[in-house]
Amino acid sequence: MLDIRRISTNRWWHKKNNWALLGIFLFLVFVRISKGSIYKDIYFYISKPFWPGEFQKEILLKSKDQESLIELNILKRDNKRLREILYLQESSKNDIISAAVISRKTGSWWRQIILNKGSKDGAEIGNVVLGPGGLLGIINNTSLLTSSVTLLTSTESKVGVWVDRVQMNGLLVGLGDDYPRLILYTKDADIKVGDFVSSSPASTLLPPNIPIGIVQSVDDSFNAEKTAKILLLAKPHVIDWVQILKVKI
Amino acid sequence: MNKFFTKKLSIALFIFIPIIFLCHPNWFGFFGIQPYWPLFWLLPWAMLNGSIHGLIYGLFLGLILDSITLNSNFTQIPGLVLCGFWFGRIKENSDFWVGHFRYGLICSFASFLCGTLYFLQIVLKNFSDSNFYFFFPSIQNILAEVFLTGFFAPLICSQLFRLFKFSK
Repeated sequence: MLDIRRISTNRWWHKKNNWALLGIFLFLVFVRISKGSIYKDIYFYISKPFWPGEFQKEILLKSKDQESLIELNILKRDNKRLREILYLQESSKNDIISAAVISRKTGSWWRQIILNKGSKDGAEIGNVVLGPGGLLGIINNTSLLTSSVTLLTSTESKVGVWVDRVQMNGLLVGLGDDYPRLILYTKDADIKVGDFVSSSPASTLLPPNIPIGIVQSVDDSFNAEKTAKILLLAKPHVIDWVQILKVKI
Repeated sequence: MNKFFTKKLSIALFIFIPIIFLCHPNWFGFFGIQPYWPLFWLLPWAMLNGSIHGLIYGLFLGLILDSITLNSNFTQIPGLVLCGFWFGRIKENSDFWVGHFRYGLICSFASFLCGTLYFLQIVLKNFSDSNFYFFFPSIQNILAEVFLTGFFAPLICSQLFRLFKFSK
């Protein structure tokens, strides 16, 4: 009886070291099966600062940025020249006035914001108001110290827009809810969810290419028009500061 | 001064309506929609002063609110004038609970009337376009406004009624 007890206490699984060894063995088996992916990933982070191509990549990106900047300036000049030829709207950075939102009606039928800059500061009726994200609306009324902006969601708002992917002009109509409708006057327009909508380059009221929104859903229409619901990029119900862009009409 | 202010309390609060209409306090809102503030003032005022006063002050309120909103093609005057006239014909109820409940119900209905009249103007103006039915989803504005106006009316209207009665 005593012999049996002595033998049983000497079994290998009664020793902690053996369990540790088994654990290490299983870990190594896992490393082997995973083909050393853990080691490689750790090495990735350790060796990152010493990669030979990293510095070169920065130089390349910098050059690419400079190239893009030069290209952008050339295109801007070209665009300005062409718009002058066509007598279209233009704007410059010097014509921007920063303003704070002092009243905001973004629900119900009345969709407007009131800004703390008025005719005294140079704001005029027809000026375009931009917020983070893009176009918010157009100044409809000014007092000496304030200006009132009709938002794109207002039932009174109708602006010409451009759908870049299908290269087509359309009309953006506010409906008194948060999602204005885009109307394209052709049934064959191939607009899709996610298409980007900006101000129309052909507009005589708005400066060109101001981001407005993206297509959220396309309606099944039986008319000769195609319509879509637009999700605006600039959110008037949360924006506190805006920019008034002076447009020469 | 104090006596003057007490006597003119209703007028002071009348001036306060466009301010609160512009302030658009978010904590009273629901999906960005607010209660229809002018009704809270107009109901107790017209109940105490009669239909003609209700009608006239409904017109005044409409004029002021139209001047501070940008929708020049649509007006709030018809709804407020009708409500002012109607409110003038309503008498105070002696029962506490019924009285409060009535304020809520009356303001809800009045808000529905004003909202519908405004909505009809929008639809009629765009009727010539083939897409006038686009505006139908914005009926949710009316429904949210009706709910909020009815919800706050018992509290605000009863207090204003007491204040106006006291200052009269």
